[in-house]
Amino acid sequence: MEIEVLKNLKWLWAAFSVAWALHIGYVWSLSGRERKLRSELEDIRSLLREHNKSED
Amino acid sequence: MRESVPKALAAVTGISVLTAVYLIFVWVPTEATMGIVQRIFYFHVASAAVSFLGFFIGGIAAIRFLNNRCNSLDDLSVAANEVGLVFAVVNLVTGCLWAKPIWGVYWAWDHRLTSMLILALIYIAYLILRESISEPGQRAVVCAVVSIFGMVDVPIVYMANRWWRTQHPAPVLGGEGSLDPRMAFVLYFTMFALAMLFWCLVRMRRGLEALRRETDALRREAHALT
Repeated sequence: MEIEVLKNLKWLWAAFSVAWALHIGYVWSLSGRERKLRSELEDIRSLLREHNKSED
Repeated sequence: MRESVPKALAAVTGISVLTAVYLIFVWVPTEATMGIVQRIFYFHVASAAVSFLGFFIGGIAAIRFLNNRCNSLDDLSVAANEVGLVFAVVNLVTGCLWAKPIWGVYWAWDHRLTSMLILALIYIAYLILRESISEPGQRAVVCAVVSIFGMVDVPIVYMANRWWRTQHPAPVLGGEGSLDPRMAFVLYFTMFALAMLFWCLVRMRRGLEALRRETDALRREAHALT
């Protein structure tokens, strides 16, 4: 009986771990995408600033 | 990204999720037939409900976007669909891990499981399509149409184990199955907690989409100048 409970506990543990790993992985991917976009945005802004300066 | 989720919302979400975990692992009684593994049910069913909510929000935002071409509706649509897909994948994976000890197999090609898999695949295709179209206006319109198409599949998934004989258990909510009041309470509470988590993630994703739009606009401006 106890062995059965422990065997099933493995599946319960696996399901909850995978569920949280997916959520945490998603938040991780969101912050990675944001970092990439912010650095790209900064690059484009500096490019535009330089272009405006050269025109002045 | 942090600023897109207000502190109060983050706090309520954190407390709700922790309470749901406590209720699932400590408070709710163990089901007599399946034993401890049945506790996957609360997360599995709640994730499905939240993914359906996401796909409906995404679909309705897409319909409204096609009517008035407001960019914020496109942002909401993509955010709700993408976060809905995360919950759909959680539902599918937890379902497989629950099926193995109960059915003896991870997967059965029955109507409920297959229709849910198709639903997830529609939204994976939606995200691939979104990345592959570079022109923002065209991207938003095409993706809105796919989003509406995906939303139409949601009632089919929901009704699959009512319309056809499936290996998947009969519906416990709004169906013939009965649920212990304490189990029903935990299920509804978990749905609430995951819905709060869903909303936090949608707000984060919407913020990201607004940033992407700003970057695209500046990139076009830079491209025109150089």
